[in-house]
Amino acid sequence: MRRFGFSTGALAGGDFRRALAMLRDLPATCVELSALRLPELEPLMQTLDHLDLSGFSYVAVHAPSRFDPAEEPDVIRQLQRAAARRFPIVLHPDAIHVPERWSVFQDLLLIENMDKRKATGRSVPELTEVFGRLPEARFCFDIGHARQFDSTMTEAFLLLRAFGRRLHQVHLSEVSSHNRHNRLSFGAIHAFREVSHLIPEEIPIILETPLQPEEAELELARAAEALPAPVTAPAWR
Amino acid sequence: MGEISLKSSVEDLQRSLNCEWPAITAASRTAHETQALLRRRLDDLDSEDTSIVVFGSLAREEFTAGSDLDWTLLIDGHSDPQHLSATQDVTRRLEEDRISGPGRERTFGRMAFSHNIIHQIGGEDDTNRNITQRILLLLESVPVAQRIAYDRVVKNILQRYLLEDRGLWHGSKAHKVPRFLLNDIVRYWRTVAVDFAYKQRERAGKGFALRNAKLRMSRKLVFVAGLLTCFGCHLYLPENIKASIFGPKPNPAPLIDHLLRYVEATPLRILAYELLEQPHPAAARNLFDAYNHFLGLLADQDSRDRLESLTFDELQGDPIFRQVRQIGRQFDKGLQQLFFDPRSRLYELTIRYGVF
Repeated sequence: MRRFGFSTGALAGGDFRRALAMLRDLPATCVELSALRLPELEPLMQTLDHLDLSGFSYVAVHAPSRFDPAEEPDVIRQLQRAAARRFPIVLHPDAIHVPERWSVFQDLLLIENMDKRKATGRSVPELTEVFGRLPEARFCFDIGHARQFDSTMTEAFLLLRAFGRRLHQVHLSEVSSHNRHNRLSFGAIHAFREVSHLIPEEIPIILETPLQPEEAELELARAAEALPAPVTAPAWR
Repeated sequence: MGEISLKSSVEDLQRSLNCEWPAITAASRTAHETQALLRRRLDDLDSEDTSIVVFGSLAREEFTAGSDLDWTLLIDGHSDPQHLSATQDVTRRLEEDRISGPGRERTFGRMAFSHNIIHQIGGEDDTNRNITQRILLLLESVPVAQRIAYDRVVKNILQRYLLEDRGLWHGSKAHKVPRFLLNDIVRYWRTVAVDFAYKQRERAGKGFALRNAKLRMSRKLVFVAGLLTCFGCHLYLPENIKASIFGPKPNPAPLIDHLLRYVEATPLRILAYELLEQPHPAAARNLFDAYNHFLGLLADQDSRDRLESLTFDELQGDPIFRQVRQIGRQFDKGLQQLFFDPRSRLYELTIRYGVF
């Protein structure tokens, strides 16, 4: 059975405590603690050791998506707290200024594929370059970004074929043409099922769909419909 | 020889035959320089939802001094009135650089919308312009700067042709040739040939000789590349990849990935690739010597002007047009050798899929 969970950012923006409270009542076994905006990072990191995360079998942290080059060392320093807990750190490749600085996180670093508006990190050639600079990093496959970049799901297939061995986490949502994360539509579910068999069962699935608490269970059911567990493991596992 | 590459197939074929095709080499170099110029001049006019796409001789890497530039602003995203301004800006900048714009049929030099190109395959709404844009996107197109809208549209076109081809997935034939795609390529080639007669009438014979030369050579080459692209799905894919594609559940992504390599290659490179895969020196010399001669004629402004201005009455005794006929016959001979030699692996596919 797959493990599903939510991003705290999708549930409650920067208010990770409220999101965690919402999650207590849901059948979610994974969580991604979001600090997508830079000011959200410090409060999250300072509280990290005091949060009750006992209900989750998988916890990751999403690093800020934008910061200045001068701020990069401090962002990395703060994220060391997450690394000390062995929490994987999800990072947008276009946020990186000096890749070598991020190598301190070794295989705890998860590089995410990007949506179409970004200048890099969207396709296999672009991500190959990023992984070339961060060879130990693993892969966070954002299936919504991949579909927005290429609705035929060919790029999704190519990303999983190229980086399947690095795959550690999946982001699940529908991403609109205006680059907004939305709840899963019929079309998205249909498209995601095309590559579901390439995602091993043990990989945690983090929903990034913005939700009201009462919508969460239905969205989890849609997520399970979109990504049924594969019958056999993909060839690269 | 090592692994055969589509990217260097023309150069590799020249080396393997120990010959030179200087007009082909020069036209390719001019095309690369012109594409680079356009990239510099136009790269602020597209976006993640739009691509400026060039077609014709520039995309085929057969660009000569007298070539027109066929282009379109391909739109794959939400509607935006600024798209027209971007289109007008492309036109203005090309005029500033004294680059000749598209031909008079107005198929190019304007906006093109992905929805029509992807959804209207066949049926009354699949206009001459629509099929031209769709097939040429696959067979002779290059995005000048931002390519993600272009890539999305091309993949969607291919996905439609493949997934809606029931025979490809459920048929019992051993050959895996995408017939829906092939039929549309054949339809496009026949449309071009019929339009040749239409233009002859519409323009009272003006420009007949130049159009005739192009029909015999470059237009036919595009069709040949389309045939080889479709046959290549059967010929070039390793058996283990075929097994992963045509398993119990259709898996078109690796097939689309395979076809994208042909979309990125020029028609001459696709032809050279086949001639390297299946060496046929006589066919190769006939095809490429003729094509080199053809591009040499087009690159010579006097010859090109002569072909452009010849009247019907002057055709018979004209030495330039005589060359065109000879080149066309030599090219046809090469095609006969390549596709209709019973020893050729293309022979059976041509018999099975080429006509009926």
